[in-house]
Amino acid sequence: MAIPIAAVSSNGDQRQTLIVIFLRGAADGLTLVPPVADDNYYRSRPRIRVAPENAIPLDGSFGLHPLLKPLKRVWDDGHLAIVHAAGSEDDSRSHFDAQDFVEHGGVAAGGWLGRFLRFRDRTPQSPLSAVALGRRFPECLRGAPSVTVMQSMDDFSLGQKSDDLAARLARLYATQPDLLAVAGRDTLNALARIERMRTSVYRPEHGAEYGTDGFSLELRQAAQLIKAQVGLEAASLDLNNWDSHFTQDAIMNPLMARLAQGLAAFYADLGPAIAHTTVIVMTEFGRRVQENSSFGTDHGMGSVMILMGGGVRGGRVLGKWPGLASNFLTGPGDSQVVHNYRNVLAPVLLRQGGGPDLPVIFPNFQLQPLDVY
Amino acid sequence: MITRKQFLLAGAALTLSGCANIPLGFRPSFRKLEPDSGPFKAPDSDSVDLISHVIGRLSFGPRAGDFGRISGSARTQEESANCYIEEQLAPEYIDDSALDHAIRRIESLSEPLGELFEYKEKVLLGDMTRATLLRAVWSKRQLYEKMVHFWTDHFNIDSSKGDCRWLKAADDRDVIRRHTLGKFPELLRASARSPAMLWYLDGRVNRKQNDADKPNENYARELLELHTLGIRGGYTQHDVMEVARCFTGWTVRTVSQLNKGRVEFHPEQHDNGEKTVLGQHIPGGLGEKDFDRILEIVSLHPATARHLAEKLCCHFIADEPPASAVGEVARTFLSNRGDIRAALRALFATPDFLAARRTKIKRPFEFVVSALRATQAETDAGPALFDYLVRMGHAPFQYPTPEGYSDRAGHWMGTLLWRWKFATAISRNEIPATTVHTERCIEDFGGAQGFAAHILGRRPLPDEIAASGSEADKLSLLLASPEFQRF
Repeated sequence: MAIPIAAVSSNGDQRQTLIVIFLRGAADGLTLVPPVADDNYYRSRPRIRVAPENAIPLDGSFGLHPLLKPLKRVWDDGHLAIVHAAGSEDDSRSHFDAQDFVEHGGVAAGGWLGRFLRFRDRTPQSPLSAVALGRRFPECLRGAPSVTVMQSMDDFSLGQKSDDLAARLARLYATQPDLLAVAGRDTLNALARIERMRTSVYRPEHGAEYGTDGFSLELRQAAQLIKAQVGLEAASLDLNNWDSHFTQDAIMNPLMARLAQGLAAFYADLGPAIAHTTVIVMTEFGRRVQENSSFGTDHGMGSVMILMGGGVRGGRVLGKWPGLASNFLTGPGDSQVVHNYRNVLAPVLLRQGGGPDLPVIFPNFQLQPLDVY
Repeated sequence: MITRKQFLLAGAALTLSGCANIPLGFRPSFRKLEPDSGPFKAPDSDSVDLISHVIGRLSFGPRAGDFGRISGSARTQEESANCYIEEQLAPEYIDDSALDHAIRRIESLSEPLGELFEYKEKVLLGDMTRATLLRAVWSKRQLYEKMVHFWTDHFNIDSSKGDCRWLKAADDRDVIRRHTLGKFPELLRASARSPAMLWYLDGRVNRKQNDADKPNENYARELLELHTLGIRGGYTQHDVMEVARCFTGWTVRTVSQLNKGRVEFHPEQHDNGEKTVLGQHIPGGLGEKDFDRILEIVSLHPATARHLAEKLCCHFIADEPPASAVGEVARTFLSNRGDIRAALRALFATPDFLAARRTKIKRPFEFVVSALRATQAETDAGPALFDYLVRMGHAPFQYPTPEGYSDRAGHWMGTLLWRWKFATAISRNEIPATTVHTERCIEDFGGAQGFAAHILGRRPLPDEIAASGSEADKLSLLLASPEFQRF
């Protein structure tokens, strides 16, 4: 990967990128990362459990669901960390309220990621500092200095016959007496890189094999933007429909396959660039420990968060695990939230640099950052 | 001939009828929102003249008919500029019925407070954003709309927090728009009692029911730091805590209750002890009257006058406004008991204002609206435009923290790519539900040079006119040019 000479933005081409993947619908952490050494898990899930012999062993206490096998390599490389019993204090067990609460970072204005991008020492930012991949504007990015809900790379282009326009703008902006001259030059640099990226065929590297589903395609675009060094600092993606009240396997299996293939391909594709790219996988809440009568699970509290890349202390399950004994459950029989999601996000944001203003990003919350590095 | 100074001194003695072509009084009409028809007059000076300057500052940029109408309203540029300023300071005499009619069709905006909760929040935010764009693009009361934006930032409320999703619509209508050119103390009072503000800055949970309760200082702090005295206004942490005590007990009924959104005072949650704020003693036992005492102390405080004068001068003169203008505006504000029009009239009369040609850089909202106005665009003011505003980080009602969108250029320098993209998209009619008729505009201005001069507010430089290419390419270049980023 060639290192370009000129910076796209005055921040010297921010190289740290955050990829936030939201599993909407409340993904069951006990299926993604089953606690294979916990008898209570097997007692609570007689029909929809991951059998110990099928789980991919991680650390003796936990395994990966077999469909997440592609992630085992990332785990073995030390770039994948798991936080179990993670979630928020919102106990509404309503998808909408809980997603909102998590993405806003509490009862707050704007989203945590939007505030992170805005309240740092480092300004101004690239026009491509934040993109939402997919059609939906995610609440976590609300309030960011710039958000593009990106459909395709063409979203960034000035269109056909723009060379002449760019040349004329270069002349006009070069003679400006103030900030506009610098901004004009930065923007023309960005445009040149975008055009190069847009007009070339993207080839994933290192044998990465993305799927043909939307989630894989979006991760592929994220990788392309990261490699093109256009100043991408945050990208948000959704993987929807985890609400497994009924026949959980039928609902979760295809999603898990997509999740694993996409993440593994992204990891391979980035190669060494994974060191400055952090992927966060989160969901609004976990599911009831006890399975229900229709081979599914109902709304609960704690679930898992997955961290990949960016120098996380991988190859291990981080934090504490309260177990599933009935006296450690909460509400109608839900896994506790031991690790508030803010305590997982905060150290990651600090690592991104730029002096993020954490009390503004996570207002009215006493942070106790988890040791993820 | 009278000088500008004499004109302003004459003030009320001069009647507006001296200015030709300035509409007076209401003429009920139900016209559609339609662009003016030509022929139009374009600026014909190589630099920005006084007329283009005042249009640029008092409005969201010239519409096609503005320069000709205003420059033809009196014998000299100075008199014409004064007529325009006085016209804009008296919006109640400007017929804006076509726009009002269009806005009335957005039903949610006229709903009583409680009814707002019947709407989906996304619908409300869309309706508010659309109305904001329509008003900025079409209103003839341009200074009024500019000041609505000014106060919306000053009393910023992000509509995504809690019940602000619904209540901001009422705040926009009943607080900001109602008092925009009124008296600051009344505006401040309305804001302090606004249910959306009580939600946004946690005033609703500021209570003291027992000795263990610690007041929530959020609103008290922002009231002093942002809304009134300013960060260097001479208050202390102790003042913040005392103000918070004075406001204990005020709350808003929430979604789960009847009469949700209603603001109430709960005496049992009020700290009724004595307090001292900015050196002034407030005796115990005043109950809800503490609220009035605080507003009396801060709303016309000299530090408040100075803070507001600085912000107004930053908005209308330059990012770092000259001290002389700030002093003049602050003095006028105080001597007129917080009358916003008087402060603005004084500001527009300062030599600093008159000299400050193209010293400000448009923020993204101003850029988008000025392009729509300059090109006589037909637009639904809908999602395609919202999307551009979000990309440029300047969508109305979506700034997360209480200080509001920055009024200084440095914060917006990362937005050029999207400005250029907007410039090319609008010129090529590639923005859904927004259309420009470039050929007609060129014809109305008597040629491409005239149209370019209208857009730039002065005659174009050779580099600003593309020698080759289509009319759309030429328009793209003008709208993307550095000169069009300024006002």
